[in-house]
Amino acid sequence: MTSVAGRPVAVATLRVRKDPAIAVTVFSLWLLLALFVVYPLAMLFARILIDHGTFTSAGMATILTDRHQIRAFWNSLLLALLVGLVGTVVGFLFAFTAARGRLPRALITAIDASVLLPLVSPPFTTAIAMIFSFGPRGLVSYELLGIEGYTVYGLSSTLFSEALTYFPIAYLTLRPILAAIDSNIEGMALSLGASRWRVFRTVTLPLCIPGIANAFLLLFAASLADFATPLILAGNAFPVLPTQAFLQITGLFDLRGGAALSFALLVPAFSVFLLQRYWVSRRFYVTVTGKGAGQTPFDSVSAGARVLLLGACLFVTLVIAYFYALLLYASVVVALGANHTLTLQHYRVIFTDGLKAIRDTLIIAGFSMPLGGLYGIVLGYLVSRKEFAGRRSMEVVSMINYALPGTIVGIAYLIAFNDPPLVLTGTALIIIACYIFRYGPTGIRATVALLQQVDKSLEEASLGLGASSGTTFRRVTLPLILPAFFAGLGVVFIRSMTAISATIFLVSISWTLITVKILENITELSLGPAAAFSVLVVVIVFVVVAVIGRVLRSFRSAGAVPVASFLGG
Amino acid sequence: METIGVHVDRVSKRFAHRVKGEIYAARDVVLDVHPGEFLTLLGPSGCGKTTTLRMIAGFEQPDAGHIRFGGQDVTRVPANQRNIGFVFQNYALFPHLSIFDNVAYGLRVRGLTTDAIAKSVSEVLALVGLTGYEQQFSGQLSGGEQQRVALARAIVIRPRVLLFDEPLSNLDAKLRVQMRQEIRDLQRRLAITTIYVTHDQEEAMAVSDRIAVMNQGSVVQEGTAEDLYHRPATPFVAQFVGRVNLVAGRVLEIAGETAKIAALGSVIIARSVASGLTPEDSVQLVLRPEAIVIDRDTPGSERGQATVVSRTFLGEKIEYTLRCDDETLQAVRYNAGPSEVIAEGATVSLRIAEDAVAVLPCSSA
Repeated sequence: MTSVAGRPVAVATLRVRKDPAIAVTVFSLWLLLALFVVYPLAMLFARILIDHGTFTSAGMATILTDRHQIRAFWNSLLLALLVGLVGTVVGFLFAFTAARGRLPRALITAIDASVLLPLVSPPFTTAIAMIFSFGPRGLVSYELLGIEGYTVYGLSSTLFSEALTYFPIAYLTLRPILAAIDSNIEGMALSLGASRWRVFRTVTLPLCIPGIANAFLLLFAASLADFATPLILAGNAFPVLPTQAFLQITGLFDLRGGAALSFALLVPAFSVFLLQRYWVSRRFYVTVTGKGAGQTPFDSVSAGARVLLLGACLFVTLVIAYFYALLLYASVVVALGANHTLTLQHYRVIFTDGLKAIRDTLIIAGFSMPLGGLYGIVLGYLVSRKEFAGRRSMEVVSMINYALPGTIVGIAYLIAFNDPPLVLTGTALIIIACYIFRYGPTGIRATVALLQQVDKSLEEASLGLGASSGTTFRRVTLPLILPAFFAGLGVVFIRSMTAISATIFLVSISWTLITVKILENITELSLGPAAAFSVLVVVIVFVVVAVIGRVLRSFRSAGAVPVASFLGG
Repeated sequence: METIGVHVDRVSKRFAHRVKGEIYAARDVVLDVHPGEFLTLLGPSGCGKTTTLRMIAGFEQPDAGHIRFGGQDVTRVPANQRNIGFVFQNYALFPHLSIFDNVAYGLRVRGLTTDAIAKSVSEVLALVGLTGYEQQFSGQLSGGEQQRVALARAIVIRPRVLLFDEPLSNLDAKLRVQMRQEIRDLQRRLAITTIYVTHDQEEAMAVSDRIAVMNQGSVVQEGTAEDLYHRPATPFVAQFVGRVNLVAGRVLEIAGETAKIAALGSVIIARSVASGLTPEDSVQLVLRPEAIVIDRDTPGSERGQATVVSRTFLGEKIEYTLRCDDETLQAVRYNAGPSEVIAEGATVSLRIAEDAVAVLPCSSA
């Protein structure tokens, strides 16, 4: 029986081994991964550990015994922990309300839209809005409450801002899990006499635990890697690792110190990655359902609880709406908090002084998008469908830049491509490469997920009819994984428009980015142009997301975009 | 614990339908389940049987009508206060709990002591033949075992009413036959009033005291398996319960429940005739395939003549498609031996057992 079943596969494998197109593609991909993933990381380690040709841990030791830096390390962990907790709770609240609240469709669409907003915004938007609201001359702290000299900087506002930015990740992770819980299981508990609260406590919540753990880890990692928010809001009193690494390099020109600091970030980040991959992913309860999917869920939420849930969600949604409205308002008045005369001067500024940044960003995004999308489906297709030596390790290596905090990737690129053999510093290529290998993996994941649902026999049928693997890919597989291509495309574009943590180290006089420009504006306290830039990015991204959404909808099977792809950058 | 009956009194449930607008999933459903009885709701998918069951369980609220358990009106009582046992098609076992904890769930809700829970769980697991499975999880069990756990979990709380929603549909054919027997035996032993939903007429006949056939949201006929099979009230019931030939005929004479009908080019005597028929009425004859007796010997004068169009050899029996007076008939014969097989194209004569014929007025839908 096994020999009979095994035979077609063996034939297919044989064909692949003989196929030169596959061999060439695999070789080129390994070359690219070696160059843009392995080499920079190796150079980062080398810079930390080797001094003038000799091995030394001195550089590492100095930085890691510095009390200020140790505090930054613990601060980072504390912040990540709190953001993970708060964000997961808020995300669960939204997910539960959306999945069980029996809301009208329009309301769910409204929630989805408001939740999408923080995900596709440039990194500083909530931070700027926080300063507008709670800064020294803030609308809430000063104008409304009349508090003078209120300090917005510190743990609580960083936490607040990050939780608001990242809770949508938890929402998007948890909602499908809640929706997938067979309503019969909850109905069963109810029929056995349990109260609604007991059903929630003993059935619904335990079934979500793996999802909650996953959401927590995603948020933890996102906060750990977040660079933009603490740079603006954490202040001197609350240093965290990514900003310390940045300041070490840009302020003190200490590349080794910055590298060592980013390395300290690697340990918790990598632990989270391992936990997620090898622990959480195995704990999901697979509910095999025969029927029941079409069943109307029973009233799992009482009328009173529903009002409470809805009220809480509405409150958070309003805060988000308020922040974005404030941002928009700040971009069209002379100086928010001082002079509220309507003006378009900030937009004039960004389209004159800032025009270069806009043009550069769009060019870079324009190149990264198709290349990143292509990279995603080719690599995703190869690792999930073809047999070749090092297949598993190729998948793992391709995920490295994606899983690492942006600060580490940026510093690694800075170190690696500053000197021969490959000098890319100051070019657009270094930024494009960074985006492709950092955000392209979204497309890889989407492709792998899609291909898991496509039976291999489809391709075997094509091979059996004598088509080469190239023809099979083009004529059979490619049409099936196009949704993954567009999903990958979309994410690479969004991130190209909004990322900063890695690319802040890679910009130059010749090539700069909108996000970097926003940061410059904030440090120069010209908040008007910063707000105008942010509004512009949000608008561009929303338009592109809408277009891609339209394209995706034209395919019958929607491409499942992994939520983690929205991790801040 | 007293055994109670279930009364479903003109219950209706409407749903919004994307194409058809508002549709009735259940319309004026009336059911009277006696204490300790095993009643099956039988019907094609979409007939409203599951909706009716879910309303009895309290998972759905009827738009009109009342549901009574014994004398108590439970229409507005939530599911968790009705004291019912429910068995789902997909078992709905709690995947995060062990088998022991699954079964103990309802007992814990009721606040029993640890000792009492342990005792009850081990008793009920012994009853369904799963002693020793306490610490397993549902993922480690076969479909049949999972269904037994679901059954144990439902009966351990000593429910007033036991409800089954197509419990055997996810099992393979052999296991299905075995499990339905176990369910029947267990129900007899525990004497719990039981309502069972299925679309499988054979399963319904095997387990039930009585069957209510549903179609398009309404109960079409209620009765024992024999009633439904021999005296179907409508062509729908005749076709849904067992296989059938519906043959057009005309009443010649009628006396009480016996009638002479002109059909299939001869005169057929029927013993079970719907009331209200008079001579010359057009009728439909309900002829079961096994009630058509095929004779190979020389045809007698008043017997119907037929030609064998095709035959299907099924081992123990042989199915024949016959052509007789412009009607196509399905007939079945037990295979007594190779010499008994009739060749295709052969001319045969038909005999129809008098008490196996039911007569329906033509107008009934």
